[in-house]
This record gives sequence, structure tokens and C-alpha cells, in this order.
Amino acid sequence: MNIVITVNLNGNAYQLEKSGYDVLREYLENAARQLAGNPDKDEIIADIEQAIADKFRAVLGPNKTVVVAKEVEAVVAEMGPVEDASGASDNSPGAAAAQPGAGAGVGGAAGPRAKDGAGDSPAGAKRLYRIHEGAMVGGVCNGLGAFFNVDVTIIRILFVVLTLFTWGAGLLLYAVMMFLIPVASTPTEKAAACGGSPSTAEEFIRRAREGYYEGMKTFHDKQAHREWRRRFKQEMRGWRHNFRREMRDNARHWQLNWRLHWGPQAPVMPGAWFALSLLKLLSVALTLAGLYAVASLVATGAAFGIMLPASVPLWVGVVGLLVVINLVVWPLKAMRYSYYYHGLYGPGYPGPFAVLWNSFAGLALAVLVVWLANRYIPGVHEGLEQLRPHLRHAVESFRQWWNGS
Amino acid sequence: MSITEKFSSIRKGLLEFLVLKIISADKVYVADILKELHGTEFATQEGTLYPLLSKMRREELVDYEWKESDAGPPRKYYKLTAKGREQLRETSEYWQKLGGIVKNLGQK
Repeated sequence: MNIVITVNLNGNAYQLEKSGYDVLREYLENAARQLAGNPDKDEIIADIEQAIADKFRAVLGPNKTVVVAKEVEAVVAEMGPVEDASGASDNSPGAAAAQPGAGAGVGGAAGPRAKDGAGDSPAGAKRLYRIHEGAMVGGVCNGLGAFFNVDVTIIRILFVVLTLFTWGAGLLLYAVMMFLIPVASTPTEKAAACGGSPSTAEEFIRRAREGYYEGMKTFHDKQAHREWRRRFKQEMRGWRHNFRREMRDNARHWQLNWRLHWGPQAPVMPGAWFALSLLKLLSVALTLAGLYAVASLVATGAAFGIMLPASVPLWVGVVGLLVVINLVVWPLKAMRYSYYYHGLYGPGYPGPFAVLWNSFAGLALAVLVVWLANRYIPGVHEGLEQLRPHLRHAVESFRQWWNGS
Repeated sequence: MSITEKFSSIRKGLLEFLVLKIISADKVYVADILKELHGTEFATQEGTLYPLLSKMRREELVDYEWKESDAGPPRKYYKLTAKGREQLRETSEYWQKLGGIVKNLGQK
């Protein structure tokens, strides 16, 4: 018993044995390849299909409705290989196009096509987008994960950790990125966002499914179909197992971080809340003074009566001032932090230098974001330019109020 | 290398000339052409003939018309155009010239 496939040859249905169908398909595919670039390709293929149909009809009768494999082979042999006649004169563009396929057969013809596919998604074509599918907030982490080819869960954890370490600067960064990074809405943008490789679970599953159905199309044999499905399921199982393990690892990681930051606190010392409030107030006041200094430096070129030397660019002055502010606030911050964690310099306490380093990391991040925005977004650049007179005005009025009182 | 192998490209090049000759006699369809060539040194197959006919039609040497057949769907019947007849005449002359040269060479 054999499986029978019905084919349409130039408008007529014929039933062929499966292996005969394969032979015919290969013959017609090869013919189409040979005729690639021939202006009359479709017509020639139709003629050839018609001729094959005529030959099939000759072997069929009232009591014979299926063309067996051997008959298909005989018909194909009788037809002879399709040669592009214009290729013989070697002056048509079609001849050159057909040549590589002719030389290397099936493998050779698949080669250039595979190369084209790779050319569509070089590393440069990848772009940073926000991806809404499967996103939790704005799709920033999703997009970053796709861009850096890292599981989105890891990016999210990094973001949470960053936010915890920088006391909220991570959230600010997220908001800024939400404004800066466009959303991938068209399929092309989505493709550019994901590059060539699956990075999120959704993407992986989508691709796997696609491959699964693509594979199914090519299997008309039930046996092969079943085998394919079995393999697919096995792969999916293996992948799911890996994914679960990864999730578990991530969760453990996360819990560890959580415990590190919100671990058991020491019983609050008497008067600690007062000390904490005082420290907080002091550091807020110092920060405000620092911000005023920055504003006055930007607006008038001087902070607290100290003029910025003409040879030093303004941005260096601003960054330097920010560094100074951080240094001034540092002892207060370190003290405050040490209160939060159980015991002074307890196991959960990152140490005073870590606190300083965190401040600088946040500062560097802020500077980087502002610099990037200023450089690449015209609106932000203009806004910053316009900010200056406003700042000057604000600084002037503050100074008057300060001196007047 | 056998003689038939050596002359394969020459036979291939002559095919167009032969097809012109066959079509010039009568309106024919592809099976007729194949039948005429069958058993000769120039025996060929559909896989070669269809692309060749399509090229000749593109060069306006032949034209075809659809004709009903009793044994199935309508068929393409080919005939020569004026340009095709002219080409056939020129090629025949040239072929005779070639034959003459081959015949006369080496004879003293």
C-alpha cells in the first residue's frame, strides 16, 4: 500500500504515488531553477506540465487512476532535463543567473538563498526598540534583552538590583529610556529589534511553532510526520526543562539580593529615628545647596562666588561640582546607611566606600544619560539651551531673597 | 571521446535550424517535432524543445495558435513567421556553404 498525492498539472488533477510525486516535484523544481531569469519561464513550465499531463493520461485508464512511481520516473526521463535555450548562446542575463544552480544541483541552488537570508540580519541591522509583547511595564527590558541577546528575566533582575543599589536612579533611567527608545510596532521593526536569534521565551516558542508547521508541510508521509512530531515534542520538553531551571536559578538569585537588602534589621536603637531624620535632613539640605551651586554655575559661570576659570569647559565644572557634592554628602549617607542595616558595619552593610562608589555610579549614569540626550535628541539640546536664561533668572531671584532676608 | 560526444554541441546548435525546417513543412505541435526527430541523430526531448521554442517565439521566428484536439486539452500548433522563413532560407544557404567547404577540403 502506498500513499497517493493529488497534483494539479496545468489545471488537471492527477494522482501520483508519494515517491513518484517526489520525483516529479524535484524535476519541476529543477526546471524552474534552470529557467530562472527566462522571461517566458511560467509559460514554459506550463507547457512542460501540460506535456507531462498528456503522458500521464496515456498511462491511465478506466481501471487505473493512479500514476505509480515507476511511470513518473519513465515520464520524467522521457521529458529530459530542462535546459534554458537562451543559456546556450550565453548572452542573456538569465543564463548567468541559472549557471550556479546548474553546476551544483540542489545544494548549490540552496546556497545563495541561504546567503541572502543571512544578509538580511547582520549585526548592524539590529536596533534598540521597546517591545510591548510580553512586556511588564514599557517594554524597555524586553527590548534590551532582545538587543543584547540576553533573557529578559536577567535584564529585569539587573534593573531591580540597579534600582536598589542606586536608591531609585534605576527607575529614573527606565523612565528616560521609555521616552527615548521607540516602540517596535511594524514587523520589520520587530525583526530588527530581535536580530537573528530568539531571546525571549515568547519569541522562542513562536519560532519553534513556525518551524514545526513549516516542517509539517513537507511531510506528507504519515510515518515521517509522526517521527517529526515526536522529535519536536522531545525538543520542546528539553527546552522547557532548561527554561524552568533557569527561572529557578534567577528566582534564587533574586531572593538572595532581596535578603541582602532587606535582611533582618537590628532592633532600632533608641533615638535612631531622630538621628536618621536629622541625617536625612542634613543630606537633603546639602544636596539642595549643591543643586543651587550647579544652577548658578550653569547660569552665571560662578558658584558661591568662585568663578569657573575660562579655560575649563562648563560641563567639566558641572560634573566636578557634582563630584564635590557627592563627596560632601558621602559621610552623612554612609552613616545613614549604616543605621539601616543590622549593626554598624554588619554583614549586610556594603561599607562606606561602596556607598561612595554607588553614588558615583549613579552620577556617571546621570551624566551619561544627559550627555546622550543632549547629543542625539535635538529637543533636549534646545531645552537645555533655553534652560540657561531661566536658571539665571531663578538664581538671581534666589540671591536677592537670600541677601534681602 | 566518441564522435557523438564531440559533435554534441554542434548538434545542439543545429537544433534550431532543424526545428525551423520541420515547422516550415506544416503546422505542427511539439509531439510532431519530437516524432520527426526521433530515431535520428538529433533525437531530443520536451525538456529541451519547450525552452527552445519559447526562445524562437521571442525572436519572432515562430508563432503558435491554440487548436482543439480530440484527445485532451487544446494544443499549441507552431508555424513559421515571415522572419522565420527568411532565417530558414539564410541558414539553409549557409549550411550548404559549410557542407561545400567540408566536401571540397583535402581533395586535390
